[in-house]
Amino acid sequence: MASAPAQVVLDVVSVSKSYGARRVLDDVSFQVSAGQRVALTGPSGSGKTTLLNCLGGIDRPDTGSLTLNGQRIDQLDSDALARLRRERVGTVFQFFHLLPTLSAAENVELPLQLLGVPAAERHERVSALLARVGLTARAAAFPGQLSGGEQQRIAIARALVHHPALILADEPTGNLDSVSGENILRLLRELTDETHTALVLVTHSEEAAAICHERVHLRDGRITP
Amino acid sequence: MRPTSAVSLLLTRFALRHARQAPRQTALLAGILALGVAVFVAVRLANQAAVASFTHFTDTLTGQSDWIIQPAAGTLPESVLGELRAELGPQPVHLFPVVETTASRPRRAGEPAMGRTTFTLLGVDLIALANLARQQGTGENLFARRTEGAAATGRAPDPNRGFWTDFRSGPRLWISHALTTELGAATSLDLVINETPHALPIAGEIPTAKDAPRAPPSLILLDLPQLQVLAGKPGRIDRVEFIVEPGPRLDERRETLRARLTELGRNGERWIVTSPGAKRDTAETMTRAFRLNLTVLSLIALLVGLYLIFQALDGAVVRRRNEIAILRSLGVEERAIRRAWLAEAALLGAIGGALGVLLGWAGAQFSVRAVGQTVNALYYATTVASATPSLLEALLGVALGIGASLIAGWWPAREAARTPPAQVLVRHAAPAPGAAVMRHAWLGTALVALGVACALLPPLRFAGGSRFPLAGYAAAFLWIFGGGMLCGFMLPWLARAGRAFRNRSAVARVALSHLTNPSGRHRLAVAALLCAIGMTAGMAILVASFEHTVQGWVRRSLQSDLYLSSNAAQSASSQNRISPATWRAIAAHPAVEAASVLAAFTLQLDGTPTMLTGTDLRLVRTRSDLPWVEAPRDEAVFDPARNAGLALASESFSARFRKGRGDTLQLPTPAGTKTLTLAGIYADYGNERGSLLIDRSHVVAWFGDDQAANLSLFLRPGTDADALRAELLARHPGLVIYTNATLRAEILRIFRQTFSITYALEVIGVAVAVIGLALTLVSVLLDRRDELTTLRALGFSRSEIARATAIEGSIVAACAVTGGLLLSLALGWLLIHVINKQSFGWTLGFALPVGQLAALAVTVVVTGGIVSYAVGRWGAHLPADREE
Repeated sequence: MASAPAQVVLDVVSVSKSYGARRVLDDVSFQVSAGQRVALTGPSGSGKTTLLNCLGGIDRPDTGSLTLNGQRIDQLDSDALARLRRERVGTVFQFFHLLPTLSAAENVELPLQLLGVPAAERHERVSALLARVGLTARAAAFPGQLSGGEQQRIAIARALVHHPALILADEPTGNLDSVSGENILRLLRELTDETHTALVLVTHSEEAAAICHERVHLRDGRITP
Repeated sequence: MRPTSAVSLLLTRFALRHARQAPRQTALLAGILALGVAVFVAVRLANQAAVASFTHFTDTLTGQSDWIIQPAAGTLPESVLGELRAELGPQPVHLFPVVETTASRPRRAGEPAMGRTTFTLLGVDLIALANLARQQGTGENLFARRTEGAAATGRAPDPNRGFWTDFRSGPRLWISHALTTELGAATSLDLVINETPHALPIAGEIPTAKDAPRAPPSLILLDLPQLQVLAGKPGRIDRVEFIVEPGPRLDERRETLRARLTELGRNGERWIVTSPGAKRDTAETMTRAFRLNLTVLSLIALLVGLYLIFQALDGAVVRRRNEIAILRSLGVEERAIRRAWLAEAALLGAIGGALGVLLGWAGAQFSVRAVGQTVNALYYATTVASATPSLLEALLGVALGIGASLIAGWWPAREAARTPPAQVLVRHAAPAPGAAVMRHAWLGTALVALGVACALLPPLRFAGGSRFPLAGYAAAFLWIFGGGMLCGFMLPWLARAGRAFRNRSAVARVALSHLTNPSGRHRLAVAALLCAIGMTAGMAILVASFEHTVQGWVRRSLQSDLYLSSNAAQSASSQNRISPATWRAIAAHPAVEAASVLAAFTLQLDGTPTMLTGTDLRLVRTRSDLPWVEAPRDEAVFDPARNAGLALASESFSARFRKGRGDTLQLPTPAGTKTLTLAGIYADYGNERGSLLIDRSHVVAWFGDDQAANLSLFLRPGTDADALRAELLARHPGLVIYTNATLRAEILRIFRQTFSITYALEVIGVAVAVIGLALTLVSVLLDRRDELTTLRALGFSRSEIARATAIEGSIVAACAVTGGLLLSLALGWLLIHVINKQSFGWTLGFALPVGQLAALAVTVVVTGGIVSYAVGRWGAHLPADREE
């Protein structure tokens, strides 16, 4: 396991969330520092994805606070949350969720375009990152023409291209074979180390959890030892 | 599983539950279908009301007559009655001589001269009528209004006054129940008959014979001799009606009577023997092309609706494919799935159809006036105030809804049934393209080519010369469907054309990326919008071309300074005339340099009503500029010394009777049959029945009638036309007098009014298509939930997602507008040179209403963009469709 850095990027304090009578998250608190990787584990229905959605500003907690880089995100309005995700968060999904109508390079380029990065710089950063994930030759391919492992590498490149403070990854190896999964985990570890980016990784997989510095285990919406 | 039980299971457990889960979408679809059916039903009911108003007026008085005799042209002498009575001997047959004319209320200040209510005045033998009514047990009704009127005005009824008092005391009117109600306690009615205003006392309400329809609102009844005087037809009658008394061997006696009347009429030389049913058929035949055209036009909204139902059901197939796949793997057969899907479509169609019938009946109350006005302007006098619901029309409306829905649902049902379980059970397999049929360019091309072939085919011909361009309409529909399929292929081009924007904006990049390989649903939305825009713009081109042509025709034809006609002349069949004394006095006015007098008579040619007009053809040559379709080869027709036996025919006449320049025809006149040779064909957009124009001197000689239908005055230089108009109006208050400019304006006003109903139909069509675009985007966004969540995770704000959707929708709209405008050029050509020409025989020049088309294009693209933005905002709030 790698050593944990000091600067706190994400601070989760007493977060609770209910859907109707069902309590999905119950008084959840933890911190993530820059360059730190935290695994969110737990059985199905334990609240992992709900927590991840709250961290990404897709969903809102009922109570508690979420602070990213010193900014309370649970109180932001919809547009501010969108800006926050655009600037400071990168997301990797289990099913990749590349935009099927954009090429691999265009998918990676999209966050930069959203931020208004000039075209020349965009192309430079995208090229560099594609080279880093080993897919320069597949830049013009569309998602339907890529294997699962290639799609996930593109998704990781897209999550990192705008230098976010936090990467949220939801079962990034859950839809891949074991060899591809290992490659993806290695890539995530190397890239977060290189860029000193915090990572919250939702997983059922011991192998995936093993690349993390810390583990937060959820059961019935509560953190358990 | 047996298909039938599976179908009912699928319907109750799946289709209905899906409908309940998305009630607004289901209601919207049913509403769109209802709108399409409603427009169709409204137009049908309005058409029927206009034709029903032609119900033979004397039916309401006498019950249905058995036979009618009428001259092929002109009127019959009164003496014919004595001859007939003598010839028929003691046979139990009632004879009813009838004089018929039209009248209007005096024009009030500021009221348009045309478009006012036309009353039909019937002069009948009231004694004979009273006797018949008494026999039928309705005779006392003749006095009902007298008593009610007296009570209403607070006057005690005078038992000594009554039928005979009224009968002897000068012209008295019996009016309809509707007019009685409208007039309240009024004791007289102001009417203009021919050129004279009259204040005529009201005698009572028209009685209704047993089982006869109630008198039409516009029917007014007078005693025969009184109307003969008022209408300027002393000693003349228009027709004689015969009723055979009931009794043994009735049918045989009827047939014997018909044979005898035919014999006495010398097989049409003196008169034609006809029946009320045949007269009604004539009215139906005359207006058939107009009504069919309107009915076809009313299908625009339904056609667009058809696309939307297709789209919705196709979308449902895509959304529910996991469900279908599970059912398939549980053992439900393909045919059961197909049937269930079709049953779902039929159910939607039945609901939409039933709603549409109700809406259509309500809409008919508005459309009936517009249809009535057009029939009035082009065909015959009619006043229709309301449309009556009919069970048959209701069933037809529901059947149309179901039929349209089944047609639209057929392909999606096929697709649903063909979805292999193994393919769709794979989670997150590539999304189904939807509406795969829209991707076949060869099919679109084939449809367009077939349309071209149809456009070259001749029209269907009905009895009476009426024509219907069935192949022309088939061509239009084939071009619309084919064009719709081909236009979708423009989407990738437009998306590529926006490549520059892709690099500048992430929003544009996402929006355009969806169109580089557009889904079947995008293509369907394009096709639906294209259909509405193409038809709307095509109609706009037709109307603009028509208006442009009519303006040119008016400019060339109307050269005189003042135009005079009876104030009561309201419809194509007006019988109001200006007396010889009056027109001669006006023509002799010192300010008048020349006067062109027009005589007009309705006559039956080959059993079809048409017009014979007479004027001074020398003046036509020197003072007017007739727009020729086929110009005379020499000057003979314009020379009174040489033009006996020569005639000019309007283009409608030429098409209706299939006669061209140089052809001859046999014309029935009171002076015997005359042989005429057509010297030329001229353009005339005044009526659809067609007319012949010959020198007035011949018409006057044949008909023995020197009255004028209208009078055109050419004034001496320096004459103030307005001052002379005021002077003449003061002297002849029963006339309507137009200056050149006001007549041109009035003609264009009537023209635009005639087309007013088409604008309403077009607006509905475009509105439905824009709703369709919204539905498409809703469906597309529902399918793209994952993508929307991804975009949000990447930092897209809701307004950016909405903007991306707006760009996507605007491009779809722009593509449809581009294709629709191209299609409209083809449809415009088809409407002008094939459909209009085959239906009405009118040659029109092609005019492009650039401003109107640009406004339509901008409206559709902007509305499409706004609607898409709203859908995008909604889509951005969709919850993620992901699992824990």
